[in-house]
Amino acid sequence: MTFKYLVKTVFLTEILKAMALTFKAFISKPVTRQYPEEPREAMPGFRGMHALVRDSSTGREKCIACGLCGAICPARCIHIYSDEDEDGRKFAKRYELDLLRCIYCSLCVEACPVGAIAMTEHYEYSDYSRDAFYMTKEKLLANWDKYMSGKKGQEYFKKFYHPLADDFAEYEGQALFRGKAAERTRDAA
Amino acid sequence: MEQVDKETSAREELTLSLGPQHPATHGVLKLVLELEGETVAKCTPHVGYLHRGVEKLGENRTYLSALPLTDRLDYVASMSYNVGYVVAVERLLGVEPPERAKFIRTMVSEMARISSHLLWLATHALDIGAMTVFLYAFREREWINDLFEMLCGARLTVSYPRIGGVRNDVSQEFLDSLWKFTEEFPGRLLEYETLIDQNRIWLKRTIGIGVVSAEDAANLGLTGPMIRGSGVPYDLRKFAPYDAYDQVEFDVPTGTNGDTYDRYRVRMEEFRQSNGIVRQCIEKLPPGPVMAPDAPKFTLPPKEKVMEDMEALIHHFVLVTKGPITAPEGETYSAIEAPKGELGFFFISDGSGTPYRMRIRTPSYVHALALPYLTEGSFVADVIAVIGTADLVLGEVDR
Ligand code: SF4
Ligand code: SF4
Repeated sequence: MTFKYLVKTVFLTEILKAMALTFKAFISKPVTRQYPEEPREAMPGFRGMHALVRDSSTGREKCIACGLCGAICPARCIHIYSDEDEDGRKFAKRYELDLLRCIYCSLCVEACPVGAIAMTEHYEYSDYSRDAFYMTKEKLLANWDKYMSGKKGQEYFKKFYHPLADDFAEYEGQALFRGKAAERTRDAA
Repeated sequence: MEQVDKETSAREELTLSLGPQHPATHGVLKLVLELEGETVAKCTPHVGYLHRGVEKLGENRTYLSALPLTDRLDYVASMSYNVGYVVAVERLLGVEPPERAKFIRTMVSEMARISSHLLWLATHALDIGAMTVFLYAFREREWINDLFEMLCGARLTVSYPRIGGVRNDVSQEFLDSLWKFTEEFPGRLLEYETLIDQNRIWLKRTIGIGVVSAEDAANLGLTGPMIRGSGVPYDLRKFAPYDAYDQVEFDVPTGTNGDTYDRYRVRMEEFRQSNGIVRQCIEKLPPGPVMAPDAPKFTLPPKEKVMEDMEALIHHFVLVTKGPITAPEGETYSAIEAPKGELGFFFISDGSGTPYRMRIRTPSYVHALALPYLTEGSFVADVIAVIGTADLVLGEVDR
């Protein structure tokens, strides 16, 4: 039994050190957030509630009812009923998405060949009825207008719908380690 | 007054059901304990409360769309499980991901290891009675979740890797903030150690508890920190390197006594090693593609091509609806080092786009079955410490 051990046992040094740390945390800035009062912005590219893209030139949905999103969906929660309009263009008569089954994997976004479905940054979904989570085409289009209209939607598709550069080979401006530069911008991040 | 016969009352047995709703059993684990006084005579784990049939579901999904299922195995380190899955499928299909994707995957699996160990530290200490650590560890875990959100848009169920690469490239902002994290994290580790490393209650509750010898650990099939705590340097990142683990330097920390305290020390040391691996990955991250360009039959073609190139369009349609239908027939077992131990995927392929059989070897399941060995003969209170040290996540125990 060394002298050091004796001091430690009698004077509870390790407990005092821990208490000092607690006290330090007590007087420093809190890391928590008062959530509903202080809402948190989701990061760009967040996988939140879905939206169907509205084509600004026609005012209709972009979807061509190919059914690929429904085919890849691991939760099997997309149901598409297609139809043809007067000039033979295929369109989704009904496009239904059961959000309560969805697991927010974003595979549907990746599978869509024309970029007709997107995931918005909206994550606060709570409601009083199950029906509110059964999305129809109209509701999904309204989501687009509400959360992704304007620049945001374009940005989204530039960044997250074309995530892999053309032919996987064009890598200009790729993120690389910047050494000391990283430290300079660290307070900004 | 009635005389109590000491002989018989000491032998009287009491059956205690610990769980499935017990706050210290980390999910829905039920342990039926037969007690003699305060000593555990027999311990029977009951698992299966969280069974979702992931293996069977995987056999009804294509290789591409079964990936999000693996998020739900170990939901505290879903990134590692995604990586384990894609590495296994790549080995089956013979796809080689590009260098950059390998480094990114190594980096994110180490982030997952840090995040998983943080949750382990928080809840393990909480079970034993040190609540403060919980608050500190969750502060850093939140940081990692934010980084994951920045990376791929989801905080827990990430689904980030893809067969042949990763979903999207990392952004400069992400790299910079991850670098910042790795710079601050060692300081945070010192804080946790200030709180519990020498704490006399912590030492009393962990030293000499749940002891397992190296030989028994190997016979029980323990892996990960559970076997390294007993002094066996078994780590698949060294023995069967995948992704970029053969290009980074790290040590495999081991314990000596195989008790709960040693396993705690092993995991604390793994924090530092993982932090070092993340830093090396950031420094060495090469420029280049993040998706295998030479595997058009297995990976989704670039979006720009789909509407222009007929062949790409056909590939896209077939891949999405039927999966990689040119998969070779055969079997493969591929294992990676998940935060909790050896995670193995076994596939039998019949040449179609869906696996004929998908079997998952999850570390927690084996560790749950080792609980009788670890607890029998010890006190009830130590059962809680042993559950904590085994780092069970019921999502992967039951699958
Ligand atoms: S996010 Fe995933 S689960 Fe949800 S609809 Fe899309 S593919 Fe299906
Ligand atoms: S959203 Fe896209 S993938 Fe789904 S049916 Fe419409 S066009 Fe096809």
